[in-house]
Amino acid sequence: MLKHDVVIVGAGLAGLRACIELRKRGVDAVIVSKVYPTRSHSGAAQGGVNAAFDENDSWESHFFDTVKGSDYIGDQDAIEILTSEAPGNILELQKMGVVFNRNDDGGIAQRPFGGQSFPRSCYYADAVGHMMLHGLFDNVLKYDTKIIYEYFVTSLVVDNGKISGVAAYDIKEGKFHGIAAKAVLFATGGYGQVYSSNTNALINTGDGMSVAIKAGVPLMDMEFVQFHPTTLKSTGILVTEGARGEGAYLLNSLGVRFMSKYAPKAMELAPRDVVARAEQTEINEGRGVDGAILLDVRHLGKEKIMEKLPQIMQLSIDFEGVNPIYEPIPIRPGAHYSMGGIKTDNNGRTVVEGFYSAGESACVSVHGANRLGGNSLLDTIVFGRRAGIDIADYIKNVDFSKFDESTVKRDEEIFENIKKSAGKERHGLLKTELQEDMRKNVGVFREESLMKKAIEKIEELKERAKNVGVDDKSHLFNTDIIEAFEFKNILLIAEIIAKGAVMRQESRGAHYRNDFPERDDEKWLKHTIAKLNPKGGIDFDFSPVKITKFKPQPRTY
Amino acid sequence: MEFTVKSYRFNPEIDEKPYYKEYVLNDFPGMTVLNALMKVKAELDGTLSFRRSCRSAICGSCAMKINGITKLACKTQISSEIEKFGIIKVDPLGNMPIIKDLIVDQEAFFDKIKEIKPYLLGKKDYIEDDFKALKDGEKIKQPVYYKTEFQTLTGNNDTPNCILCECCYSECGGVVANPKYLGPAALAKLYRYSEDPRDNDKNGSRLVNGSKPAGMFDCVLCQACEEFCPKGISPVKTIVKMHEKAIKNSITFSKGAKHIIGIARSIQETGRLDEIKVAVDSVGISGILNDLPVAIGAGLKGKMPPLRLKLIKDMEDIRVAFKDLNLEEKHD
Repeated sequence: MLKHDVVIVGAGLAGLRACIELRKRGVDAVIVSKVYPTRSHSGAAQGGVNAAFDENDSWESHFFDTVKGSDYIGDQDAIEILTSEAPGNILELQKMGVVFNRNDDGGIAQRPFGGQSFPRSCYYADAVGHMMLHGLFDNVLKYDTKIIYEYFVTSLVVDNGKISGVAAYDIKEGKFHGIAAKAVLFATGGYGQVYSSNTNALINTGDGMSVAIKAGVPLMDMEFVQFHPTTLKSTGILVTEGARGEGAYLLNSLGVRFMSKYAPKAMELAPRDVVARAEQTEINEGRGVDGAILLDVRHLGKEKIMEKLPQIMQLSIDFEGVNPIYEPIPIRPGAHYSMGGIKTDNNGRTVVEGFYSAGESACVSVHGANRLGGNSLLDTIVFGRRAGIDIADYIKNVDFSKFDESTVKRDEEIFENIKKSAGKERHGLLKTELQEDMRKNVGVFREESLMKKAIEKIEELKERAKNVGVDDKSHLFNTDIIEAFEFKNILLIAEIIAKGAVMRQESRGAHYRNDFPERDDEKWLKHTIAKLNPKGGIDFDFSPVKITKFKPQPRTY
Repeated sequence: MEFTVKSYRFNPEIDEKPYYKEYVLNDFPGMTVLNALMKVKAELDGTLSFRRSCRSAICGSCAMKINGITKLACKTQISSEIEKFGIIKVDPLGNMPIIKDLIVDQEAFFDKIKEIKPYLLGKKDYIEDDFKALKDGEKIKQPVYYKTEFQTLTGNNDTPNCILCECCYSECGGVVANPKYLGPAALAKLYRYSEDPRDNDKNGSRLVNGSKPAGMFDCVLCQACEEFCPKGISPVKTIVKMHEKAIKNSITFSKGAKHIIGIARSIQETGRLDEIKVAVDSVGISGILNDLPVAIGAGLKGKMPPLRLKLIKDMEDIRVAFKDLNLEEKHD
């Protein structure tokens, strides 16, 4: 059995940022990840990371924009932390070696982003996530950190409400291990693979959330799923909001900038939920172009496109066969980000002592019902850093708890049973069925009858999942069995999303109900808390929203 | 359109030796090689093993040889491969041990990245030194670095765009010749940090370490890294720049640096390449003695360079060229 003071699961931005805080304090912290750290999905973030630096900007304005963006269901004490710590965090990254684009006067360049009242998104061309991920990983190497990669975490081990460690499967060797720890941080990212047509990596299967809720840690606000307005029509690959930040237009089949109808002031730079719904409405009402909308950057000119949006240009050419210098890019809304996640406090703590979460897998909540572009990278570094510092303090006064090896044995049996199963169901095909159903029935526009269908489908898939077999029975690097387990994770997450969405009878942020088109603060200004009951069903509860400065107002752009 | 995927297969747990297996699929518009492999895995054969993550050419997981050429599977279109080759033949990356099917052991590659110290040097640690959360109405002043300082990083060779996909490493002639050679990705990263205006490498330790055996002078200048990089980076150009920088900073202890200086001197003096003299300059008399069997073998085959070279006619032009290049005083 492995034993380390701190186990960080997931090596995207939040995990790496926490790791740096721990390692520079000399803490025995290790990274456990199912992929090598630089393969993490943080690297795909393109457009920017928000911080109010400018003389004419203020973090209070960033604070308000984020609260309004969240449709008033974000916790304001947390959002205050997010926005007031933003500039300091960016400066730290800059000291660690992260490169940002610069203005001629030498300051960090900033571009406008949706729902922000000031251009405050710092960027590195259109690959800021990549730059930050590699920059932070390089610093993790600086502190000579042990990286246990291609290990897949299957369970938390908890003893009397206190964390004891995790059960993990060594993918390369095909063996289970217990890893004992005084503290465990889940920075395991989101669940984009619940939906077809998503912007997410194939590895984003909600593993951390799923493992956490199975260990009794509640998930919060899972019904709020962000659909990004601009993803490539055929693949769902992300096209940064930075394109609109640089001045791109959204056009319908009539060549009209239709956003004037939906957000006359903010136009293309309205928040993502507003733009995604506007696009879907245009498509549904017959003003789409082959089921898509056009993103036009041609008027920006070749030079600006190549300097500021080189990755977008290349992705459009490689994946859509369209050169944006000469043609508009066909795009449509696609599942992008999970506002919900493992319920934590402002330092990443959860209900299990010593168990933390940060980044997209966590729900603090700073994004509420709709995250603003450029706030997710910020979330990872602000709360990753805070979790790291808090863990370093926490472990000073605690010992290892009793590690119950039976959890590891149980997971080993689950894997062996899948391998032995003669079941004829293929997890790869079930996954596609689930993803298509979720897109159709729990998507941008929701209503009870459709969501009920989705829940029926999920029930059906749960039954069929019992008959999943795998072709690969070997120990060595068995990705077949990993995918089978990942499918079970997204199936559970899908159920929580769908059931939460049926329950929330109002429209707020990214959660839009045709049958309840208004926000209902009286009944629904509260967080949804999901837990598993002993029968494997999902119980829902609610918790109050923290409102400190800004009373809810109507949200128009 | 129906097409065939022919994949290298080897699971040492079961198979005695590697083999190829063929799968027949139907394409769809925009289908990539990764889509095809995923379709095989989901529908036909779950044992086919490969790495993948982002599917948008930014994570670097799915590099492999496609019809013999190292590429990212996620950004390679089926249609163009079929047009050229009539088949999708996939093999694991080169220069790395194979674990299973298309999955290779990357440990040595990542160790080499770590070896070049991929982080800013010479700064104190930053434990909460000046981090702060702002109070009401408070502002923060950001340090100013001029755009031009950063252009060396972002404007020329784009080395920070490297995604560590190992395409360059797989095709690198230098790694073939010497498996310990750091390789193009690690050296591009070395360049990236040595050019960073925030790096405080006072003793030139980056270039000194980079000049050690198996370092930047082991590059065979074959240009494969540039040719195969899916992100348009040219590690070899950065390597040549570091050669220049090392020599200009008198970091000339390596054979490679001596070799370059020897060639330059020979041309400056005679207008010709005096191979014997260059050899002595590069490896010294003892090195020559070590290589004597090779030299004798070459001599017996009639490949002996002349012992004395005549000056070429246009020596004056050579002198002017050296003066223009501002290389004259750099030799000693």
